[in-house]
Amino acid sequence: MSEAGELVRELMVESLAAWRVAGSVARALDGALVIAGARKDIRIERAPSHLPFRWTVTVDGRNRHATSVVAVLRQVREALDPGYPANRVRIAVTPLVPSQ
Amino acid sequence: MNADVIPVSVLTGFLGSGKTTMLRHLLRQPEFSRTAVIINEFGEVGLDHELIEASEDSFIELQTGCLCCKIRSDLAQTLQDLLRRRDEGRCTPYDRIVIETSGLADPAPILQTLMTDTAIAGRLVLGGVVTTVDAVNGVGTLAREEISQKQVAVADRIVLTKLDLAGSAEPELHGRLDALNAGAPVLVADHGRIDSGAVFDTGFYDPRTKSTDVRAWLSEETHDHVHARHDGDIKTYAIVREEPIRAVALTLFLEALAEHCGDDILRLKGIVNIAESSDRPAVIHGVQHVFHPPAWLDRWPSDERSSRIVLITRRVPQRWVAALLGAIGEEVAGVNQ
Repeated sequence: MSEAGELVRELMVESLAAWRVAGSVARALDGALVIAGARKDIRIERAPSHLPFRWTVTVDGRNRHATSVVAVLRQVREALDPGYPANRVRIAVTPLVPSQ
Repeated sequence: MNADVIPVSVLTGFLGSGKTTMLRHLLRQPEFSRTAVIINEFGEVGLDHELIEASEDSFIELQTGCLCCKIRSDLAQTLQDLLRRRDEGRCTPYDRIVIETSGLADPAPILQTLMTDTAIAGRLVLGGVVTTVDAVNGVGTLAREEISQKQVAVADRIVLTKLDLAGSAEPELHGRLDALNAGAPVLVADHGRIDSGAVFDTGFYDPRTKSTDVRAWLSEETHDHVHARHDGDIKTYAIVREEPIRAVALTLFLEALAEHCGDDILRLKGIVNIAESSDRPAVIHGVQHVFHPPAWLDRWPSDERSSRIVLITRRVPQRWVAALLGAIGEEVAGVNQ
């Protein structure tokens, strides 16, 4: 398994700050990211190459997989900030510019 | 352009900030003679409509509650009725609609109604948001009333009123307006009198020329040096990317923004260099978690080719937004290699 990149680590650090969750983000010896906060232990690492997922997120020993860094972010938030008011993007039906 | 597309402008501002006085002046100008007006008054007995001289049949007063919360469906229905009356020739022809909100209204849900109602899609286009600010009481109001901050934050144009009465607080007021929404030009109304060409000319769609000026719409804020500004919880900042952004990365970015902080994205505007279409930039616009589909320009408005996304947010750190776009961009780039 390859390590989570530096930009993903940075995103997790900034996410804790944005969500106002006290915690820490550290890098394990094998390159995985380890988040401790809200009485949860979270580990983020690349999924094994034979799986059709890019990421494995382990929350308190339970593995889940994720297809993208956006999905990783969702799983981390659900673990650290359960019940957060998630919104789904809604696309306007009116154009920004009238059609030709 | 479709000749029947009608821009809808939202005139907002806190209680007593001079919205009605300015609108009354504007409606006396020849270029505003073909304007339909919707006034939302909060209270059992509306008075503002008594102050407006407009054609009876293109003037509607919504008095059932505050436009932003109780009667969003009423607004959509009113707009549909107004269009029907125009189509059937049952009202004075108009080529512009102005919605004057109550002083206590949050403009964001009103904008969302204009963006998402299927019955008016294709007929109406968002013309912009104009916010009046009372130069006498503005500093205090902005300090005290969160809704006043939001009204300023989402504005495309800010109009200062009662400057003749203003004292030494004016420089402080300019500082606060700059902190809340540096991108919006600040105009001045003198007893309601204002340059009628400038106030609703927010750039993106001009009903007279039926053309767009994306540079004006995005404001100079996105083109020149961009400095983060803040006023309490509300912050304005820009995310700039020199490298083109993949379309899927932009989609994921907007989805994640909406998911994690949709309620706190007061407004988002941007011009984006999409990797798959680098000659034709995409213009994006969102209010909270509602986004217009990207508008594709025929060409770049200047020699600048970087992507610039301006966000006006409440308690959404710039560093988080930048980190989000960076991590998504890196992942998508890896997939495409």
